[in-house]
Amino acid sequence: MAQKEIIVTVLRTDPDGSDAGTKKRYTVPFTDGMSAMNVLDYIYQHLDSSIAYYDHAGCGLGICARCTGRINGKAGLFCQTPVDGGGELVLEPVNKDRVQRDLVMKKKK
Amino acid sequence: MTETYHDTDVLVVGGGGAGFRAAIEAARAGIRVTLVSKGPLARSGASPMAGADFTLDGKSMNELGREGDVNDSKEKVFNDIVTQGWYLNNQKLVEQYINTAKSQLSDLMDWGIDITLSDERAIFTSGIGIMDALLKQARTVGVELLEDVSILELVTNDGRVTGALGLDVRTGSFIRFRAGAIVIASGGWHKAFWPNTGMRDLSGDGIAAALRVGADIGNMEFITFCCNVFYAPPIWMGSIAPYILSLICGGRLSDRNGDDLLSGFDPVLQQKGVLTEWNKSFLSYVSAQAAREGRGLECGGVHYSRGDADWGFMQMVGGLIFPNWKYKAIDFSAWAEKLEKNEPVEVGPAVEYFDGGIVVNERFETTMPGLYAAGEAALGTFGANRVFSAITEMLVQGKDAGRFAAEFAGTEKSPDPRKNAFREAEDRACAPLSGTGGESPPVVRRKIQEAAHSRLGPIRCDKELTEFIDMLEDIQKNVLSNLSVSYTGRTYNKEWFDALELPNIVELLLASARSARFRTESRGVHFREDFPHTDNDSWLCESIVSKSEDGTTVSSRPVTVTAMTPPVGKTPYLQMMKTLIEAHSDTGGKH
Repeated sequence: MAQKEIIVTVLRTDPDGSDAGTKKRYTVPFTDGMSAMNVLDYIYQHLDSSIAYYDHAGCGLGICARCTGRINGKAGLFCQTPVDGGGELVLEPVNKDRVQRDLVMKKKK
Repeated sequence: MTETYHDTDVLVVGGGGAGFRAAIEAARAGIRVTLVSKGPLARSGASPMAGADFTLDGKSMNELGREGDVNDSKEKVFNDIVTQGWYLNNQKLVEQYINTAKSQLSDLMDWGIDITLSDERAIFTSGIGIMDALLKQARTVGVELLEDVSILELVTNDGRVTGALGLDVRTGSFIRFRAGAIVIASGGWHKAFWPNTGMRDLSGDGIAAALRVGADIGNMEFITFCCNVFYAPPIWMGSIAPYILSLICGGRLSDRNGDDLLSGFDPVLQQKGVLTEWNKSFLSYVSAQAAREGRGLECGGVHYSRGDADWGFMQMVGGLIFPNWKYKAIDFSAWAEKLEKNEPVEVGPAVEYFDGGIVVNERFETTMPGLYAAGEAALGTFGANRVFSAITEMLVQGKDAGRFAAEFAGTEKSPDPRKNAFREAEDRACAPLSGTGGESPPVVRRKIQEAAHSRLGPIRCDKELTEFIDMLEDIQKNVLSNLSVSYTGRTYNKEWFDALELPNIVELLLASARSARFRTESRGVHFREDFPHTDNDSWLCESIVSKSEDGTTVSSRPVTVTAMTPPVGKTPYLQMMKTLIEAHSDTGGKH
């Protein structure tokens, strides 16, 4: 059976570049029981290591509550939002006005 | 970029329990104290992930108004910690732990924690609750708190530490810290392995930085793997939830053939080795053995299911620890269904705690003047195997390290860092940003992490350790100096952080693998397939790793003994484990 794949769109924003975010598409192999964080890890490790998502002190298990994002339009934690094998996956920053880079938010004052 | 200096009296590196406790105590001296946390305040490192248990003798526990076993005593706890440690503990540090535990629980209770359960000599609370209480107290006593700042290097002059180079993770700008004394409380190095049970900031930066400036580290081969950690599905991987449930309720462990993992083992091991925190060491060994014999599952793990355990009891316990089968944002309801139907999930050993670390004395001074260490980053309390609480360790050690660091900073005027020390460290740190054609840091990291899980797992042997050392030496020599990143900006550059953490991970894995090869016996969490006996004639010593001209060297020093004389002779590993389990005092409970 061929490896199932999902098409992932990530809204990227470079603080040193233009203001408007650009959508980048990636094709990621799908495994049952994957989370959006697993998808981002795959992209980072195999497809595009320039991507930024909150991870420098992440727990991956829904405890620290720092990997907030928008998954298919709905706000949640990347690490505990399951991904299903069908259709597209859209990953965006949780708040487009407060982006540090890509999916990482600026710190709240 | 303009240079930013930050001057302080005591610099605490690490925002877990040990760091916060050290900072709070140092602030009592009325001096300037700065705590630097790699991630968000009170949400970094292993402390917030902990269940958490705090252990102390039952009599003291009772005196604090909690129902401990009144017949328990400091002497019984001492006996238990040293036998659990296979006599490799620094007995002076064990005494410090036991004598200071009561006051630290009392402090925590004053500062506000919720205690959900207790047993004969432990209270159970949440790691997050402890961190919130410590954060509040640190703010009250005026500790300067910096978050999302990573400490990259220590700087020295005149043979003592004088400061550190920090990196603001979000902006990528440097901070030059100058301090009278420094406390390393940066925890373990879980990130050197995949899978692991730790947060992604735990790359052993503090231990590696200390080693680089000449502080000795030791017992690096002793790594506690937690058993029954979720290996699958990916969304739960690294969670210790099945471990916690199995500790309290039991359950069934089976291999790929459906056979009981524990059949054939001594009844004492099957009982105490499973239903007390001896299980981390015993069950990790058993699970690893099954995998090596080809009886492991898809991800190399074993099956955990309810077995004969009563569903009603499991549901009740589950309800206390994971209300509605949720813990914070993780949802285990699909697992609850499997438990009820007696269907298995795949679990296995994953790194959880590092028993070795920076060599310290009873004042938590390292071998480098001005440098202190406390908590998981320090060596000594638990010897070859930790059963008692690391939460207690971080608080008792943090307190004294903070106190002594403050004394030192108050009495010794710190020299300025060596001229150009900061600039040279900054240039080294920036190297990956201008590298071209080199290897990608995350790819190198994952390769190393998976090799570490396999070569430095619960079961080791000379051949695999040598292959691993060769691989690491090649990477250290030929790959690390030539890493390149695809995004060269400074803002939250994940790949750059990977490049900065990699040398630390490689350094500590080399120290560990060399020590594991050096120790030709089996003791505690270090099992050598090719030397499967405990050698109390030749190996009652701590392995010590020191910086040398072209790398590091491994030597040994006798264990520090006070009240308990170690045994003699050579004994097969499991027989020794059984003897040590049976040497436990008559106090009940999980520790």
